[in-house]
Amino acid sequence: MSNFSVGFRSSGAVQILDLQGELDAHTAAELEAAIQKCQKDNRVHILVNGANLMYISSAGLGVFMAYIEEVRESGGDIKIAALQPKVYNVFDLLGFPMLFDIVETEEGAVDKFSSPSAD
Amino acid sequence: MPDTSLEKTTQSVTKRLLPARGSLILNGILVVSAWLATMGFHFQQWSAQQPASTTLFLLYAAVTTAGFGGWWFLLRQIQGFKDTSPARKLWTLLVGGSVLMIVAGTVTRFGRISAPGFDLGIGFDLDTGVALTFPTIVKMGIVSLAMVTFSFLLLQRLRSLILVKRSHSSERNWKLLIGLMIASSATTLFMQPGASQNDWQNVAMVIVAVFMVVNAFRLSWIVFLSFKEKLATLGLIFLLGLFILFSLGTGFENSFGMVPRGLEYLEFYFMPLATFTQQAAVFGMIYCVTSFLSLLFHLPTSGDYEQRAGERATMHTLAALVGQVFDADRLFATIAASPVEAGSADASWLVMPDPETGTLRQHVVAAQNLSPDQIELFMDCSELVDALSEDTDGFLIREAAADHRLNVRSSDGLGSLFVVPLVARDERIGALFASKSVVNGFERDDIETISIFAAQASVAIDNARLFEQQVEKERLSRELSIAREVQRKLLPQQAPNLRGTSMAASSVPAQEVGGDYYDFVKLDDDRYGVIIGDVSGKGTSAAFYMAEMQGIFQSVSRLASSPSEFLHHANLALAQSLDRNVFISAIYGILDLKKETFTIARAGHCPAATVRLGGESRLIRTPGLGLGLDRGDLFRKSLVEEHIDLAPGDVFVLYTDGVVESRDVSGEEYGYDRLLAIVDEYRHDDAEGIHAAVLRDLRRFLGAEDYDDDMTLVVLKWHGLPLEVLTGTECVLIESH
Repeated sequence: MSNFSVGFRSSGAVQILDLQGELDAHTAAELEAAIQKCQKDNRVHILVNGANLMYISSAGLGVFMAYIEEVRESGGDIKIAALQPKVYNVFDLLGFPMLFDIVETEEGAVDKFSSPSAD
Repeated sequence: MPDTSLEKTTQSVTKRLLPARGSLILNGILVVSAWLATMGFHFQQWSAQQPASTTLFLLYAAVTTAGFGGWWFLLRQIQGFKDTSPARKLWTLLVGGSVLMIVAGTVTRFGRISAPGFDLGIGFDLDTGVALTFPTIVKMGIVSLAMVTFSFLLLQRLRSLILVKRSHSSERNWKLLIGLMIASSATTLFMQPGASQNDWQNVAMVIVAVFMVVNAFRLSWIVFLSFKEKLATLGLIFLLGLFILFSLGTGFENSFGMVPRGLEYLEFYFMPLATFTQQAAVFGMIYCVTSFLSLLFHLPTSGDYEQRAGERATMHTLAALVGQVFDADRLFATIAASPVEAGSADASWLVMPDPETGTLRQHVVAAQNLSPDQIELFMDCSELVDALSEDTDGFLIREAAADHRLNVRSSDGLGSLFVVPLVARDERIGALFASKSVVNGFERDDIETISIFAAQASVAIDNARLFEQQVEKERLSRELSIAREVQRKLLPQQAPNLRGTSMAASSVPAQEVGGDYYDFVKLDDDRYGVIIGDVSGKGTSAAFYMAEMQGIFQSVSRLASSPSEFLHHANLALAQSLDRNVFISAIYGILDLKKETFTIARAGHCPAATVRLGGESRLIRTPGLGLGLDRGDLFRKSLVEEHIDLAPGDVFVLYTDGVVESRDVSGEEYGYDRLLAIVDEYRHDDAEGIHAAVLRDLRRFLGAEDYDDDMTLVVLKWHGLPLEVLTGTECVLIESH
């Protein structure tokens, strides 16, 4: 049923979450669990790689909104990278680029974590 | 069981087949006239004072046989097939027999024929068998009738006992016995009263005796009696035995009895009848002896039989409960009581997790013969149930006082304990506890019985739960359909009719309720607001925010001078209540009929599509954050309004993502291009036509009737001049230019 998965990787201090499949109201809980796990492990430099994310619904976007404040308060950030154009469009329509660092490539996002001035 | 029902049907068939009254009367006439004829025969002999000729005697024999044969069937018909208890059968037989014997006995005491020094006996010529006086004939007739009647009644009553739990062989044995009795009686046809039997007759008697014994061991009816009934029947059987002995058994000279020399009268009346009656008496006494002994030996085991009966009755109750699941408390109480009612335990109780608190801790939900408080004092039921997990068959504590898990002293009246789990669909739903007041109180069949109850109870509880869930589901679906109705009323019932414009709108939630919203508002004489919104997520939570959005729109829109100002206020208002992961996208546009402008602002929503008369189409994608994404100043700063000077023929299409993100079977999205294309194609239609065309196209694309997402579509078209002065779209174009 669930055609969504979250893969965990890390690059230095940055925790990378590889999203795959479709993120909607049914699968949002998985991403929530993943972010909660990062918080628990105190790995709050979270980079969400959306290269394989095919679809996101408003409920999926809600997950990012739910945690960004907490993550930032604990000194970290959620950055989003490598989104498919169609998925980026959904982020863009809602104005997410105004709230999140949405970067074209994963490397670029990792770099942004290491240079705080870019935040 | 099927035996008795079959019997009942055959009985009712027989009853219907026999024209009861008519055949009774006919039979009665036959019997009475036969009896009178036999009396006439003896009267003729007496008046002639010599025996009748052989021919006449044979005729007499035939009439007598026919008459008493008829009497046998008449008696059977009169008694009917009433299914009464053995004790009642015996009792009525005793009463009936007593009446008959008292009549016979009284008759024999009147009109004694005796002369001083010369005893005439009972008044027959011993050589010829001819009556010496007239009263003798009458006495003989009455006594014989009474004795034969009693013997018939006796046999018929015994038959109904012997044929309890009948089989082919038992029926055959009974018929053989009666047949042999008749046959051996027939051999005495020419015997003189008082003569001894010849060898053939003795052999016949032995054969009859064998069948008497065979039939005398048909005693199945005894098993079904309770202890009390057995006791009562025992007494009655004893009395009946004595009664037979003193009535039919002793009717000869020099014996004492109820009917002095009654059998002698019968012998003079018709010898075969006397033989038959004697045989009936012998069989009656044999049967009394066997049933007396059998009753006596079965007395101690009747408790066991009663327990079986109790088990069966309890099983019936439980089985019936499987269908009656409306009252959980009653169900629990019945289950808890079942081991006690079946006689397999002295106290029993049902232990289950409390569904209301949601904890897994087991507690007593119903108990029989012990209060839940007492039980909790004695033991921790939850702990015992946990111990069951490895033991699916339940466990037995033979000596409660010696078990460390129980807080029981030997004086507490709880000697042994049996715990069996209730399992439904591989899930343990609770446990049935049963206790006996004595140590080692549970026998193997107790444990089996309780285990069967537990299995039955599991099914009943499971059924009850499924039923409850079903009811709950139906309740929810009713609630949701009410919610849907309420939500539908939050949306405009129809688009406003404004001069120079046409509008059409619709909204279809994917589930019963949804998070889509659209609305119109009149701001002043010339200005109208139109809004479309989409709450993130779906279903009930989205529906509540949609309702809040409606409230905010209806109250704030008139106070705001521009779309961005309204959206800013709405954002502030929503910030109080929106969850952090919930946001609302919206487009708000203000149509100014006087200035002929349309000003719109977009808060994260799908861009409005617009097509102009000439076919230029585009998406109006002004910057703007979704409502609730930022609760500070960023939202306000992000908003950018767009002012559009209206030209006749301008079409604006507002929609939610359900429209453009709808996917066909291959997973392809409907998308913006198809939307713009279909609007462009139908741009000459009014709003209604365009609206219908888009929905049609969408449905055709999807190939299915149900939608994944809430889907809302609002179409607005500027015609330019009041519609009422127009005759066609072309006129508008000419006039407005």
